[in-house]
Amino acid sequence: MRFQDDFRCDGRSRRDYRPMDLETGLVSNASGSARLRLANTDILVGVKTEIDVPNPLTPEFGKLEFFVDCSANATPEFEGRGGSDLAQELILSLKNAYESPLAFNYRTLCLIPGQQCWKLYIDILILECGGNLHDAVSLAAKAALFNTKLPRVTATMLDAGITDLIISDNPYDCTRIGIETVPLLVTVCKIGDYVLVDPSAEEEVCSTVSMVVSVSMRNGQAFLSGTHLTGGGAMHRDTMRNCLELGLAIGEQLDRLLTKMLNLEQERVGLKRPQIVGFLK
Amino acid sequence: MLTVNQTKNTLLDGASIEEEPYITLQESEDFFESLDKPAKEPTQLAPRNTFIRAGVLTTVRGSAYMEYGNTKVLAIVAPPKELIRASARRMNMGVLNCYVNFAAFGTGDLESVPERERHLSSMLTKALEPVVCRTEFLNFQLDIRVLILDDDGCLLSTAINCCGVALVECGISTYDLITASTACIYRDHVFLNPSAKIEELLWKHRSNSGTDSTTSPSSAQEHGLIITASMDTFEQIAQCQQCGYLSPATYVKLLDYTLDMNKSLRELVKGVLTKRVKEQHELDLREKAETALEDQRLEEIIEKLKKQGPEEFIQLNIREDPYVKRQ
Repeated sequence: MRFQDDFRCDGRSRRDYRPMDLETGLVSNASGSARLRLANTDILVGVKTEIDVPNPLTPEFGKLEFFVDCSANATPEFEGRGGSDLAQELILSLKNAYESPLAFNYRTLCLIPGQQCWKLYIDILILECGGNLHDAVSLAAKAALFNTKLPRVTATMLDAGITDLIISDNPYDCTRIGIETVPLLVTVCKIGDYVLVDPSAEEEVCSTVSMVVSVSMRNGQAFLSGTHLTGGGAMHRDTMRNCLELGLAIGEQLDRLLTKMLNLEQERVGLKRPQIVGFLK
Repeated sequence: MLTVNQTKNTLLDGASIEEEPYITLQESEDFFESLDKPAKEPTQLAPRNTFIRAGVLTTVRGSAYMEYGNTKVLAIVAPPKELIRASARRMNMGVLNCYVNFAAFGTGDLESVPERERHLSSMLTKALEPVVCRTEFLNFQLDIRVLILDDDGCLLSTAINCCGVALVECGISTYDLITASTACIYRDHVFLNPSAKIEELLWKHRSNSGTDSTTSPSSAQEHGLIITASMDTFEQIAQCQQCGYLSPATYVKLLDYTLDMNKSLRELVKGVLTKRVKEQHELDLREKAETALEDQRLEEIIEKLKKQGPEEFIQLNIREDPYVKRQ
């Protein structure tokens, strides 16, 4: 590998991503779903909804819950309970990134303050592991959230302050979740003296340390909503600043592209509506 | 924990017990007002009052106890042992396992304990992995256990500091000394080494931030916490965990504050370890002197034996048993 010449094994430069396929709405049993294929990495995300009681400390907030399942056929290392550590790490970093109410607007999940709210279960299935899981998982989760349709709910007051919820029968009568500020994770990998994004599985083995940068766009400005180092190495402060800058720039670009593509797909209605491809390609 | 009401209890002879009432947003607000807030930019970057002692337990080889303000932590490092789970084997690297546990009385909020333990364990493992020479114990695992006796904020950074000392005490080879510290920003005020109350406020803040967001400019909404662990010989950052919502500029600012604090903590840890080595050296000297004395005594006896012959010596050393009559 010659990183010095800004040239990687597969012909990319240090700032390039591998080709990405994204499809939303392919799981009919979930409220929202997305499947992302980033070269060899294959992720399927389903969002399920449930009505729950909000936390008394945050009466106007809904709830989010992440679950990551590392399928044993993703890579031989996941056999048995091998994938649980990795799954735990992914859950923690996603949870950390979505923690702040500025990163995810929990208010949109509120039905009746203090009484009823939506709880979203974001189930992430890793079907194949070809490196760069953090990025792929966060991209797929954001797309699945965009695709999520919450049925419209009307409430009627009964006696003694008890409310009764009526869920709309019309499947097209639904609300969406705003995803403008939803964070994306960008893994910046350090190999030798250089930093690069979107490491393949081989490059991940070569790297000494990588930094997971969570980028949330707000009013056109990039914010950090949770970063940490991973990979068992250490880095200098200046390297870290470089990683941060690269991560922010890439995150901004990714976010813009993702939003654009999602909006394009959404606008294709009627005859132009895309066929669901799923795994048939 | 934000507000503590003292209520008289008749059953306890009028002694007061602490009661944790339902905390409303207003109360958090009031609490924040009542805090003595630091200046917008901290003037001096000093760690809290710290006490560290290496080798507090005799049952394990490496142990350390640390008090960081009111936060009290005990770390235990056992010598590496063979891997139990063969699947966890890494290429040319040993495996590091950290376990963090709260003492039953360690924290007021019992409900979130298992989740916090899991989170702290995983972050501690990540922070210590770069510092331990893992290539030296291939196919072995190193277990590090941390017991939290009292929680007053900065848990992770205190645990990292304490483990760093315990590792050295156990004789595990490390690349450098590791020190860590915490800084957070809340409503434009920078808190260094935030106490448990401020950390809690930061999490509870979740709810009232949204109301500000519409009125105040974007910079005012920043909130977040940074924990940095560094190895200062080569100015390496072993771990830097951030949560909350920060602009990149603030992130770098807080990072520099924590790095500065790490430097002064490092001097302290160095001092503690040198003192410990000196202490151990003195103990060794004393032990050596005692064995020398013993050797000398034995030599004298042997000398005597040679002169008098064993018969006489035995007769000399038999003492009359006062309870048995001589026949």
